[in-house]
Amino acid sequence: MDIKEYIASGIIETYVMGLCSPDEERELEQLRLQYPELNNAIIIYEKQMEKNMLQQSTLPSDAVDNRILSALDNMNKTEAKIISLPNKKQNWWKFVAAAAVVLLMISAGLNYYLYRQTKKPIVANTPTLPPGDYQVMTNPTITPVAMYGVAPHAICRCTMFWDKKTGKMYIMIHHLPQSSSAKDYQLWAMVDGKPVSVGIVQDEIRGRFIEMNNVPAGANSFIVTLENAGGNTTPTESETYLKGVI
Amino acid sequence: MLTQPNQLSTPEKYTEEELVAGLLQHDNAAYQHLYMYYRGSLFNTILQLIPEKETASDVLQEVFITVWQQIDKYDKNKGRLFTWLVRLTRNAAINKLRSKIYKSQAKNESLDHYVTSLENNQPQTVNTNSIGLRQQVHQLREDYKNVIELSYYNGFTQEEIAKALNIPLGTVKTRLRSALLELRKQFV
Repeated sequence: MDIKEYIASGIIETYVMGLCSPDEERELEQLRLQYPELNNAIIIYEKQMEKNMLQQSTLPSDAVDNRILSALDNMNKTEAKIISLPNKKQNWWKFVAAAAVVLLMISAGLNYYLYRQTKKPIVANTPTLPPGDYQVMTNPTITPVAMYGVAPHAICRCTMFWDKKTGKMYIMIHHLPQSSSAKDYQLWAMVDGKPVSVGIVQDEIRGRFIEMNNVPAGANSFIVTLENAGGNTTPTESETYLKGVI
Repeated sequence: MLTQPNQLSTPEKYTEEELVAGLLQHDNAAYQHLYMYYRGSLFNTILQLIPEKETASDVLQEVFITVWQQIDKYDKNKGRLFTWLVRLTRNAAINKLRSKIYKSQAKNESLDHYVTSLENNQPQTVNTNSIGLRQQVHQLREDYKNVIELSYYNGFTQEEIAKALNIPLGTVKTRLRSALLELRKQFV
């Protein structure tokens, strides 16, 4: 599969708009687990569509606002009422029967669990990451870069996997506060002591690699700063969140 | 466009993750925020299918009640919250258009009707007062416009469209994809 061709084919747009056939949908959902670049491209399109559509706005009347807001408010009240309905007289044997059923289920569950435990292979080597991410981590040509938090953000952590051959960087966020809509994290490569922008980090992606392109080959350290949305031409040093040296 | 913020989602006060967490807990403040933030865009989406404001408002209410009831079905791995909201909204509006009561009030909304009106090159019901995606679609060339009209705005499957227009399924797929790629260029 030529993933670049697939990404450019219009399938992403069809998927996000909800117009895929069930087969196409299954295929794409499978592939996005394998290819971080596909996953990235989907999110980028979603954001574009979102921006486009949020600018096309017609407000309902105040009366409609009030009606819907109170309808939503009432949803909780209705729900609460159902839960707090007073119990009518209960027969003791119903409790006994219910307790017996619960105990039986627990016992059956425990039996099954213990049975599975004995069957488990000694070495579990199945990757739990999506296959594409797993390949990144096990690729022998890749240079991992540990990124540590910079005070006052000392708690922040992420790991970057740099493929010097392709100039790609795969970022896994371990801890980083999510950026607000007005701000973006920006990755900078330090080349000969000078910062070069690598691009905006799509930090809402968690538990998966965020793919960056065109990492300059001569970089010997990296920083991540928080900038105004869309990024900056030079890093705001007081807003440095992460730093990593090769 | 009074209170609709222009910036990208992840509303002020909430990150998208926090908002979804609040919605899952049926937190009132989260639902109020969701409504206030997205109502303009979703209402506009409905109006593009159902120009009568009263019916469109009913659909808007249905959409938010559906979110309340089905938020546990939202899967963040399959898309952003807004993408899901738009999908719910479009489905609700199309269902309303197809519902018997609405149909008895409005004209026949069958696929044949649409194909006929496409062939006669008559514009579909479009609310000209609001600028939106549908107007962007109408800037596209004829055959692109038609497949998006039939699929996105009328909810017909690719197979149904192929049969109705009497063209191969593969052509429908290619046309739809090219049309959406073309549409993307118009995004601001």
